[in-house]
Amino acid sequence: MDTTNNNNNVCEDQVFSSIFKANSRTVFNYIYYKFGNEEKAHDAVQEAFVKLWENCAKVTPAKAKSYVYTVANNMYLNVIKAEKVRLKYADKTLKTTNESPEFIMEENEFRDKLDKTLNGLPENQRTTFLLNRVDGKKYKEIAEMEGVSIKAIEKRMHLALKTLREQIDEI
Amino acid sequence: MQENHLAKWLNNELSESELAEFKNSAEYASYQKIVAVSDTLKAPDFDDEGALLAIKNKRELHDSKVVQLHPFKKFIRVAAAVAALMLGSYFYLNSLDENITTQYAESRLITLPDNSEVVLNAESNISYSEQKWDADRNISLEGEAFFKVAKGKRFTVATKNGTVTVLGTQFNVENRNGFFEVTCFEGLVSVLHNGKETKLPAGNSFMAINGKTISTEGPSANEPSWMHNESFFKSVPLKYVLDEFQRQHNIIVATDNIDTDQLYTGTFSNTDTDLALQSISIPSQIKFKFEGNKVLFYVNKQQ
Repeated sequence: MDTTNNNNNVCEDQVFSSIFKANSRTVFNYIYYKFGNEEKAHDAVQEAFVKLWENCAKVTPAKAKSYVYTVANNMYLNVIKAEKVRLKYADKTLKTTNESPEFIMEENEFRDKLDKTLNGLPENQRTTFLLNRVDGKKYKEIAEMEGVSIKAIEKRMHLALKTLREQIDEI
Repeated sequence: MQENHLAKWLNNELSESELAEFKNSAEYASYQKIVAVSDTLKAPDFDDEGALLAIKNKRELHDSKVVQLHPFKKFIRVAAAVAALMLGSYFYLNSLDENITTQYAESRLITLPDNSEVVLNAESNISYSEQKWDADRNISLEGEAFFKVAKGKRFTVATKNGTVTVLGTQFNVENRNGFFEVTCFEGLVSVLHNGKETKLPAGNSFMAINGKTISTEGPSANEPSWMHNESFFKSVPLKYVLDEFQRQHNIIVATDNIDTDQLYTGTFSNTDTDLALQSISIPSQIKFKFEGNKVLFYVNKQQ
């Protein structure tokens, strides 16, 4: 699972860079899904990896991954969670253009509904759902990031999907 | 249906019967669509290379704040070494004796650390230790100098020919090859010559030529004549007079068949060369030929 060599020291530039490359995007997305704020996500990545560098002598490469998630998470611990989330997704248009205009319109409508309901989900459900669906993270990995059991992640996943279905079908 | 079956479904963990049951449910199509569309979602672009670079820059900035001290430390080390070197050389140079030399046709006034004054006649040298001056007023002299000694501890002028010791006075010491003259203008001077001490009250002179003491009259003025740009001699062998002329005028003196031991009494100017040549030649009844910076004294053949 770990892409870094455990024998190496995080203080070494190469090791640090490889840890960064392996985890920075997920840290970014993780914070982005939570708050729907790109700037905060960028700041979190910075903060987490600068802290990792400062403590590179104390943190083993094996622990580095959970370390950066903890730092990123703690950074916004006190941020008001009620902040309205408006997630934007980079790729909104369909790749295949040989579909009928009606179909494309329907698809886009559906996407809009999905976006809205996702934004309305509780933060932990949304984050878990998107990490799994968009980033392809396993429940186990998400459990490690969030510091909860796999079962709790399964529950969130289940509830997220259930709520999405209920709300989209309602609209 | 087991707990969290939707999560299990996504993870392909449902049993065949559970999956069949789920697929038969009315919501299945909606779930499938939601998952299918969700899977096409993308997070905003994230430039991990750029972010890494930014962190590295920040890190360097951070690190440099810590490292900055090192070149400073290095600088302090170098500065300390330089300071030590400078201090060392300062003390070393300070411990060296002060050395003052005059050239031909030059005289110079030197003020000593206790405000005693020394007027150094042409081609003369004094040396003394500025550091030890307070404890020991000791001056080495080559050539001729006039001393105005401030009152205080014993003041010693050491020369090859003899030592002059005073307490506070004005006196002149002339010490040239074989010629040693001390003139006291004020106070009391003690002259040690060849192991014999001579007390020299004001207005008296002590003269020794080639180690032989010669009685001489005291000075007529209260300062040596050379301080007024004149050289005064009383019964002094001509060779010393010519040496003095050479020193004062920076003119090379040569003699031809002249008795340089004949005594000379008189004064010559230290500024007017022609006048000085006459002042020397006429009383001595000799002739001279003056060319460039050379002068030849020769016997007047008509006599």
